[in-house]
Amino acid sequence: MDQETVSTICYLARLEIDKNKSKKIIQDLETIIELIGSLQTIDTSSIDPLYSPLEMTALTHEDIENSDNKKEKFLENAALSNEDYFLVPRVVE
Amino acid sequence: MTIQFKSITELRAMLDTKSISASELTQESLQLAQKYKELNCFVTMNEELGAKNANSIDLENKTTSMLSGIPLAQKDLFCTEGLRTTCSSKILSNFIPPYTATAVKKLEDAGSITIGKTNMDEFAMGSSNETSFFGNVHNPWKKGYVPGGSSGGSASAVSAGIVPAATGTDTGGSIRQPAAHCGITGLKPTYGRVSRWGMIAFASSLDQAGPLARTAEDCAILLNEMSGHDSKDTTSLNSSVPDFLENINQPLDGLKIGIIKEFNLSDLDPEVQARFEDSKKTYEKLGAHFVDVSLPNISASVPTYYSIAPAECSSNLSRFDGVRFGYRAEDTDDLNDLYIKSRSEGFGDEVKRRVLIGTYALSAGYYDAYYKKAQQVRRLIKNDFDHAFQSVDVLMTPTSPNTAFKFGSKGAQNPVELYLEDLFTISSNLAGLPAISIPHGQVNSLPVGLQLIGNFLREDQLLNASHIFQQNSDFHLAQPNLEDF
Repeated sequence: MDQETVSTICYLARLEIDKNKSKKIIQDLETIIELIGSLQTIDTSSIDPLYSPLEMTALTHEDIENSDNKKEKFLENAALSNEDYFLVPRVVE
Repeated sequence: MTIQFKSITELRAMLDTKSISASELTQESLQLAQKYKELNCFVTMNEELGAKNANSIDLENKTTSMLSGIPLAQKDLFCTEGLRTTCSSKILSNFIPPYTATAVKKLEDAGSITIGKTNMDEFAMGSSNETSFFGNVHNPWKKGYVPGGSSGGSASAVSAGIVPAATGTDTGGSIRQPAAHCGITGLKPTYGRVSRWGMIAFASSLDQAGPLARTAEDCAILLNEMSGHDSKDTTSLNSSVPDFLENINQPLDGLKIGIIKEFNLSDLDPEVQARFEDSKKTYEKLGAHFVDVSLPNISASVPTYYSIAPAECSSNLSRFDGVRFGYRAEDTDDLNDLYIKSRSEGFGDEVKRRVLIGTYALSAGYYDAYYKKAQQVRRLIKNDFDHAFQSVDVLMTPTSPNTAFKFGSKGAQNPVELYLEDLFTISSNLAGLPAISIPHGQVNSLPVGLQLIGNFLREDQLLNASHIFQQNSDFHLAQPNLEDF
């Protein structure tokens, strides 16, 4: 796995790798990719993927307003919020 | 009278005969948790609300269910309203959920008392409980040894007799493997049997909640309450739930148990193998007979799992961004920097490793080669199980290839070494099947577990076969010597 690939994956995952650990982490990733790469030897040419053991259409329920909207409680868990919104660093100047 | 090491049925009898009150029972359980604090089973205790709820049960003065007044511990992956829920991660170390997970709510509605939240591998990613932000959990059988994972705190708390039972979750063996290492019974139900609503998701198509307890009978009591359809979980099965307790005393005459040929048990520690052979003989005496079955693709379970589970986790864990809940990094330049720093400072190494692998497996150019390929192999594995269950009732394997090991002795150099611990447990998650681990002896003074895998929705058969085994053996009655703690 080259450095460019690692940088791309890290960016996609919004993660930074600790410089002191990067060599070990890349080595671990390569070992795991080698493990999962072993599946290539299995013939799956006519096999449909099984994304869920249930293979059923996700159940739905009617969109009815209920009392689960606990805005204040949800906002309480944010590091920074006002009475209506979660606050983040300014995005638009 | 001590309540330590008592089963739910024993505690039920004590409560019913008024030899103890629910409040006294809860206090004793909390005191045991304090006494054995060094085990590090718990992340957060629930003293105040636990005592209040127990008092309400005493005041009601009527038994509404088997669990009325029984203290339980909940894995710290289940959201509990008003009670900190961390998933043993720094990124959720200050998270107070505004709601309670359905599985926990059902247990509490049945009158059980939550005494605390148990330690675990961070986000359930691990097989040794060594990835927790809150430190390692000790195995009650040997200080400095792992309890297994990821439900290590729950297994350790039950094994040490602090609580008679606890909840766990199992994505690749996270109930069964710690149950095996700690000498207790643990059941992973069929995918969809127990609601996942309010569980902090790791790998959504594999995660399933279930009980850890001292006996199969107690697992049946918990499963009776935890199971059932939940409209809040779109993958919750709308199937009838049998009375699992009522069905555990059926004779085993004619039970067909499959032995999976592809698991070469002669490669195992001879003592682990010997315990397995002993248990086969026990089942034969009980009227069961054994059939060799072939599951040609089962050896691919570990690589299949380590493609699918990280892919799903990389998606699920994208919600932890420092904005709406959880840890937020300070001194960030902009929104993107806030995401990156909060996640990088908030997640531990194993979580990062899996998120990166999953991101890689799902990224452009690799999706078909890794993620889709693994889901195709997953179908082959499920087909193998379907075929096997045409000729047998249950399948039997050791739960884990080894006993509990010393802290730091596995996976530090090569993470795959630790992943292979899940060799026997992972396949039932991929296929969505129920499976149970029961204690069946010791090797070098450490417990080993026996796994039974059942057909879809046949937890009743697993609980029955396990209960009858426990009625004819005493491995489940063994207790650890806790004098080092």
